[in-house]
Amino acid sequence: MTSRVSTGTRPGARFAQFKLVLLGESAVGKSSLVLRFVKDQFDDYRESTIGAAFLTQTISLDDTTTVKFEIWDTAGQERYKSLAPMYYRNANCAVVVYDITQASSLDKAKAWVKELQRQANENIIIALAGNKADLVAEHPDKRAITTSDAEAYAREAGLLFSETSAKTAENVRELFTAIARKLPLEQAGARNMRSNPRQGVDLRPEAPGTQGGGACNC
Amino acid sequence: MASNSSLQRPPNTRIDTTPGAFPSSPAQGQSPTVVSSQLSLSQAVHERKAEYTRLKRIKVKVGTWNVASLSGTEKDIGGWFVDGKGVSESLSGLSLGGEEASDNKDNKADAVVESVGEQEARRSKKKPTVPENDPGLPPTGEEIGIYALGLQEIVDVSSVTEALRPYSDPHPTKKWKQSIADGLPPGYQRIAEQQLIGLYLVIYASSATAPTISSVSTTSVGTGLGGYMGNKGAVTARIVLGETTRMVFVNCHLTAGVEKGSLERRNWDASQILSRTKFDPVYDGGGVMEEFGEGIGDEDFCFWFGDLNYRLEDMPGEDVRRLLMLHTRNEYGKAQASKQKIEHELANPESSTFHRNLEAANQPSGDDSSSTHTAADSSSGQSVASSTTLSNQEAYDPNSDPTSLQTTLSSLLTHDQLHAQMRTRKAFHDGWREGSIDFLPTYKYDVGSVGMFDSSEKRRGPSWCDRILYRTRKDKFAYEEKVRQEELAKKRDNEMKLQGVVEAATDEAVLFDYDPENDGADDQYDGSTADPEVVVTKAGFEDRLHLEYYKSHQRVLSSDHKPLDAVFTLDYDAVDPDLKAKVHQEMARELDKAENEGRPVVTIVVDHHRESDTTHTDSGPKYEGVDFGHVKYDHLKTRNVTIANTGRVPATVGFIDRSVDTGQPRGVSPPWLSIHFDRPSDNNNPNPGALQEYTLQPGDAVNVELTLHITDMDMVRRLSEGEDSLEDVLVLRIHNGRDYFLPLRGKWLQSAFGRSIEKLVRIPEGGARKLQHQRPAGSNHSSHHHPDDKENDAVKWSAPRELFRLTEAIESFTERSMAEWEMKGEEGEAPWEKEAAWPFSGFVSEEKERGVLRERVREGLDTNQPFTELFVLESGSIQRLEAVAETLVQFLKSLEDGIITEELWAEVEKGMLEHEKVKKPLSDEDERMWILDTVSTAPAHGVSFTFITFMLSRVANEVVPIQQQLQRRGTATSFDDMEAVQKSKDDPARARRREVDEAYAAIFADAMIRLPTTLTGKARKNTDVRRKHVVEVFLRSRLGDGS
Ligand SMILES: Nc1nc2c(ncn2[C@@H]2O[C@H](COP(=O)(O)OP(=O)(O)OP(=O)(O)O)[C@@H](O)[C@H]2O)c(=O)[nH]1
Ligand SMILES: [Mg+2]
Repeated sequence: MTSRVSTGTRPGARFAQFKLVLLGESAVGKSSLVLRFVKDQFDDYRESTIGAAFLTQTISLDDTTTVKFEIWDTAGQERYKSLAPMYYRNANCAVVVYDITQASSLDKAKAWVKELQRQANENIIIALAGNKADLVAEHPDKRAITTSDAEAYAREAGLLFSETSAKTAENVRELFTAIARKLPLEQAGARNMRSNPRQGVDLRPEAPGTQGGGACNC
Repeated sequence: MASNSSLQRPPNTRIDTTPGAFPSSPAQGQSPTVVSSQLSLSQAVHERKAEYTRLKRIKVKVGTWNVASLSGTEKDIGGWFVDGKGVSESLSGLSLGGEEASDNKDNKADAVVESVGEQEARRSKKKPTVPENDPGLPPTGEEIGIYALGLQEIVDVSSVTEALRPYSDPHPTKKWKQSIADGLPPGYQRIAEQQLIGLYLVIYASSATAPTISSVSTTSVGTGLGGYMGNKGAVTARIVLGETTRMVFVNCHLTAGVEKGSLERRNWDASQILSRTKFDPVYDGGGVMEEFGEGIGDEDFCFWFGDLNYRLEDMPGEDVRRLLMLHTRNEYGKAQASKQKIEHELANPESSTFHRNLEAANQPSGDDSSSTHTAADSSSGQSVASSTTLSNQEAYDPNSDPTSLQTTLSSLLTHDQLHAQMRTRKAFHDGWREGSIDFLPTYKYDVGSVGMFDSSEKRRGPSWCDRILYRTRKDKFAYEEKVRQEELAKKRDNEMKLQGVVEAATDEAVLFDYDPENDGADDQYDGSTADPEVVVTKAGFEDRLHLEYYKSHQRVLSSDHKPLDAVFTLDYDAVDPDLKAKVHQEMARELDKAENEGRPVVTIVVDHHRESDTTHTDSGPKYEGVDFGHVKYDHLKTRNVTIANTGRVPATVGFIDRSVDTGQPRGVSPPWLSIHFDRPSDNNNPNPGALQEYTLQPGDAVNVELTLHITDMDMVRRLSEGEDSLEDVLVLRIHNGRDYFLPLRGKWLQSAFGRSIEKLVRIPEGGARKLQHQRPAGSNHSSHHHPDDKENDAVKWSAPRELFRLTEAIESFTERSMAEWEMKGEEGEAPWEKEAAWPFSGFVSEEKERGVLRERVREGLDTNQPFTELFVLESGSIQRLEAVAETLVQFLKSLEDGIITEELWAEVEKGMLEHEKVKKPLSDEDERMWILDTVSTAPAHGVSFTFITFMLSRVANEVVPIQQQLQRRGTATSFDDMEAVQKSKDDPARARRREVDEAYAAIFADAMIRLPTTLTGKARKNTDVRRKHVVEVFLRSRLGDGS
């Protein structure tokens, strides 16, 4: 893990926490992307997600800025579709995933983007991830969606975009970091751990300064 | 839920003991356990019934016979009931009326049916009376799935002793059971029986059918003498076939007699049987007993049979006898005794009715005009197809032949009391059906004769006393619906009349004018419909019942009643138990799943922490709990846990009291841990002692900050000694969900704090941390000595090395601080000018900053690193000094035994008291001497004491540098010098110095000298003064002030 944890109170240190939701058709690799991002692992045989999974991951953007993602990995199976609003409610950012070898999965992704833009937070940052890039590296004929098509769509819809591979880790960390950088750290006010419940972005000194002497996170 | 046991089919409640005359008590030991979830499960299973039911068809044969307590009757039972023998083709109303049927020897190829004459002649009580070589009316034997037999008068119910018996004598049933068993094909099992005095109901099922029968319940209702005795009444059985189809069999014997009162009594008997018959609750498919028992009417198919005793009314019995014997005489060969008897009687006409009928019977066929017995009611409706029907039946309709037997029967049936009761809704009107009667009245014959009606003096009028009725669930509902409609119509009619509406010639008028006598004619007591209707059963399945035949066995001679039977074909959905178990299991699993999905579920994420990965190198699998890593004295550590609602319903979470060993502090968390949620609790109660709960919506998460802080010296000591550990488990409760366990751990780092002087002087070169991998000093593994123990136990220092280092650092930082202050030329009062106790109290640096530095100081002590290397660069000398000085005081206070232990202090105080008594005060010098002597009985303590007090006087000298001049002049003896000394006593610096001494002494007396905790009040105050004095006298010494 690259995040640096400073000791004592470092002036200007910021800590932000964001809710991120993953959406997309079943088997496109949502859970795999999260597993790669959080644990740097990959499973060839993953069980389809039931309901929703929750994970957290903290990344450092620079010496003074730490971002913690609260990641809600939703179930792509159709029968869980009605649950999705519970998870994208209050989300600061979303990763909508499709499988570049499955044409239908982009249609599904577009539907999710539409729903998010209509129903989710007004300022939600949406990233489009074309996953399983490794598959076309070996067999280019497997590709069902061209990069340029997806890119054009992403530009038009105002989305971050990259093709990823949970298997090879290609662009995975980069994708999340790009989201973090786009998040509105600047406007966000300092968060008081105890009084301000989770409204949007919260920034607070990294070490809980109210604790008295000797506090550190190390 | 859904344990396998609930899948098991309930044992058939078979009643093998003969019950008494009163309804048997409900099954014991089977309390009705109706659980709502089980109900919804069985409902859910039922929804899928199509998957586990298979259409089945069985034939049910229902038979009834009044055996008149005659011996020998049991010999005939297998012949007629099982094998279908004794049905007379010629007397069944289906053959040509008046045809010579005698000696039909060449009708059958090899098996020639015994003639009536031969049959009657060979009759004996020892042998069956049924005709020999009778092939029997199919279906017979194994073609029948269920045989239900009702017998009446198996004992003589007219005998007063039998009638008044409070219980039934089971003896007679034995011979019947034996006879029936002998008659049945092998493998048939008795599934139910019930006796009430002379009434006996017994049901057998084939080996394939028997295991599919459940919820068997039998009962009796006595309606005889006094309305309750068992000489009349009914025995009844309820069974459930294939888990889907409820069947009830009623075998009754109603009040006898032709007089008017007896008819009403029969109706009353029937109503009593209907209302008083109660069965045990039915087990539903899931093995759950239903809450309430059922009665007649709750079933899907009911068969009501027996000797109902209804007669022909408004007809002279003698006329009927004679008329019928015109038909029966044809059965006999010329020489037969019965024939002669009949002919003799017929030769003596006695009534006009007889003559008219006789003429009708003798009319040549085809004469329509003289047909007196037209099909006035539905009893002459369609005939039951019978395999015995003659080949020319199609060309010949016996109903239109005035001389045919059927025409005669039809005319007689218009006088049948039972049909009249049904029409007029007095009894058996609510949906009951009966097959077409195409057989002679079953009563009363001379025993031993086929067709000789009662020739005794009484000459009882022949009647269809013995009947088999049946009713489907649909029939009952249809009747009820009809009654509802009629009532509605009547009400409307009345309303219209009240309103003066007189138009009646509308279609509705038909409805309004209900006349039960006439309109009841469409009541279906003729059930022989060709295409049976679908009957939706109580359990929601679709069954069909079809009456195959309804026959009497005219050629059974052993009783004065002829037996009769009916065969039904039942198409029903039967549960396949294996398939159902599978569906049940699936549904149980699905319901469980739904239930679980409806439960709150949370995911707890312990935020990953870099340090934790490296702390516990020994641990194999990844630790799932909260790992605080290395934990040190007075060192705050925080870890974050996120609780996310990953379920579908709101989740209310909160930590609950964890389980602790006895004596351990209870509560939500150990005393060294504090828990903070990043939002107010639901009840907004800031009191940490109050139950704190937090409700999370699905998709919501809460952060929990866990802060570890160890300051309690006892805890420090126990941790250092290995008597305690930083391991605990928090319990997070999810309301209506599960408890989550959150393990905590931390690795205690050995420290010099909290130890005794004796231990400190044995700490190895590199500092207390070197003890980390040694066995804790306090643990008693004496039996197993470590080779290093000796070395470990060796005294390495004259006094704790920590004291050398701290006092040295204090002195040097004091100098530096003052130099820095001067160099910087800071404005205002210096810290030491403001506060006499400085640098040990009255700090100028921030507590937070000092805390960080103190932690560094401790680290320096425990790891034997130079302090300066550990200090953060930004800190100045004053901050450093304050941190070191404060650490020294804390260190002294943390000592397990103190610099001057309780025991040493006792000695010191004793000496002081003695000196006080002598009243000659010692010089400071002398006092210091004996105090040091006393303390030095524990050498390390003496050395430590000297170190500290020496350091204190040096620091005091530094901050109030008055003594420099004094010392310079200290050796002077001149008066001037003396004067100077005198002067210096009034010197403000000197006074200031005294303040400093006193302030230091107060702090260090408390930090170094241990007093018994029991000391309180005035004694404590005095001791405190002495304690302070002991320290102060050592500070004064360095003044060189000998006064
Ligand atoms: N080759 C390749 N396979 C991948 C990649 N990402 C995921 N997979 C595979 O695709 C399958 C589905 O991945 P998941 O991560 O379970 O998909 P999901 O989107 O979470 O599916 P649901 O939980 O059902 O919504 C698994 O077998 C993964 O091993 C990838 O980048 N490359
Ligand atoms: Mg998944």
